[in-house]
This record gives sequence, structure tokens and C-alpha cells, in this order.
Amino acid sequence: MIFGMWDGVLFHLGPIPVDHLIVTEWVLIAIIGLFAMSATKNMQVVPRGLQNAFEAIIIWTYDFFTQLMDEEHVAKKWAPVLTSFFLFILVSNYSGLIPGAAHIQGFQPPTSNWNVTMTLALITFFSIHIAGFSEHGGHYLHHFVSPSWAMLPLNLVEEVAHPLSLTVRLFGNIFGEETVVAYLLFMAPFLVPSAMMGLGLLLGAIQAIVFTILSASYIAAAAGAGH
Amino acid sequence: MGVALGAGLAVSIAGIGGGIGMGIAGGKAFEAIARQPEVGGDVRTLLFITLAFIETLTIYGLLIAFMLVGKA
Repeated sequence: MIFGMWDGVLFHLGPIPVDHLIVTEWVLIAIIGLFAMSATKNMQVVPRGLQNAFEAIIIWTYDFFTQLMDEEHVAKKWAPVLTSFFLFILVSNYSGLIPGAAHIQGFQPPTSNWNVTMTLALITFFSIHIAGFSEHGGHYLHHFVSPSWAMLPLNLVEEVAHPLSLTVRLFGNIFGEETVVAYLLFMAPFLVPSAMMGLGLLLGAIQAIVFTILSASYIAAAAGAGH
Repeated sequence: MGVALGAGLAVSIAGIGGGIGMGIAGGKAFEAIARQPEVGGDVRTLLFITLAFIETLTIYGLLIAFMLVGKA
């Protein structure tokens, strides 16, 4: 019982315990998948409706990552992962918008638990090094000793600090916002929490964007020409 | 009592530093965009990244506060 997390294991999938957060994640993934499938079901040359919206998202993110990473083939390779991060974190943050949802088992937004955010950050961590090795091969190891050998410990600390800060930032923001809304609901149930929830609407989008931008810039730094 | 005071101080002192830093960063970014509106997109992206870094420090304070409250 740490940070408002329940040990409510619903059922076991083989040796792996499945709790309500994982089920919530499955539901969110299914929602995103259903939207994406219905958008691409019968595609037309001139897009309409849902297909139009999805094409706008894809084009916008592709352009954005290409501009951020400077190299088009790197951006093209990693844009699907990063766009998935963005969509999943956005939907996950917004799943907590139901008042008091943070304290009902099953309605808690998955990103308000740091097991989930650390999983996302670890995906970024491995993506960074896979991108570095696939762009530069063994030469990528030089960047760990980049100005000199004396900087090796500091560089290693930095590599650990990246996923840690990604984890804590997303988790702290969403959990903090949910906690404040819950306290406000407890103290003044009518109308007062709506101000904080309006802020939460903005915060959820900003945190999804920030996580994606930071992941993209770390990958760009590892795959870029600087090393 | 001491734990509650510590939790309050952790988040408020972290908030002071983060607030000052974000104010300076945001103000300078607006100045830059006002002077040269054509670099608005680049400045906005950099501003987002910078604010995220500053904000992390405040969030660390919030985390310590939650930990202290959870311990009491």
C-alpha cells in the first residue's frame, strides 16, 4: 500500500498476478485500437471524419519529430513508438477525469501509479540505447566516455536519471492532481473541484506532450551526429 | 506534528524555486518570440522541455511530501 495503490489482484495469468490497473490499461488500449481500426476500415483518398483526424495526428507528429530529430530516417523509425506513447498517455490521463475516480478501484488512471510510468520510461530507456547502437554501432560506446574517461561515472548516472525523471514527472503530476481533486471533493463537493479539474484537462495533455518530446529528444541525442 | 510540518515545507520550498525558475524561463521565451515571431515554434518546444526539467524538481518535493504524509 504505497501511493494510493491497491494490492487488489483480480486474477492470475499463469504466474503473473493481474491487478485492476492492468485491466484498465487493456480497456484503454482496446478503445484506442477500436478507434484506429474504425478509422482505417474503408480508407478513402479524400479523408473524412475519423480518418481525417487520425491522418492529421500522424502527419503532425511525423513533421514534429522530423523537425526535432533533424534526421528523417531516425524520425520515421521512432515516430510510431513515440506517437503511441502520446496517445496512450493522453487517453490514460483523461481516464481519471470522472470526479473522485482516483479512489475507486478500476477507475484510477493507470499513469497515476508509478509502476505504469516506470514501464513507459523503461521502454524509452531501451529505445534510446537501441537507437544509439543501430545508428552508430560499437562507436556509440564512445559517448559514455565522451569528454574524457573521468566523466564515465557521471555519464552513467545521467543514463539512469533520464528514465527516473520521466517516471517521477508523469506519476507525480497525475497522482498529485488526482489527490488535490479528491481533497477538494471531500471538502467542498459542489463546483469547487471543477477549477482544478479544468487544470487537470490541460495538465494531462501537457504531460503527454512532455513525455513524448523528452523521449524524442533523448533518442535524437543518442542517434544524432554528435557522438 | 514534525512530519506534517516537514511535508508542508518540502513542497512549498520546492515550489518557490520552481516558480521563480519557470517565471524567468517563460518570460524570456515570450520576449524572444515577441522579438522574432518566426522562431516561435522552436522556442516553444525548447520552453516545454526546459519547463519539464524545472518542474521535475518541484515534483520531487511533492513526492517527498507524499512519502512523509504516508509514513505518519
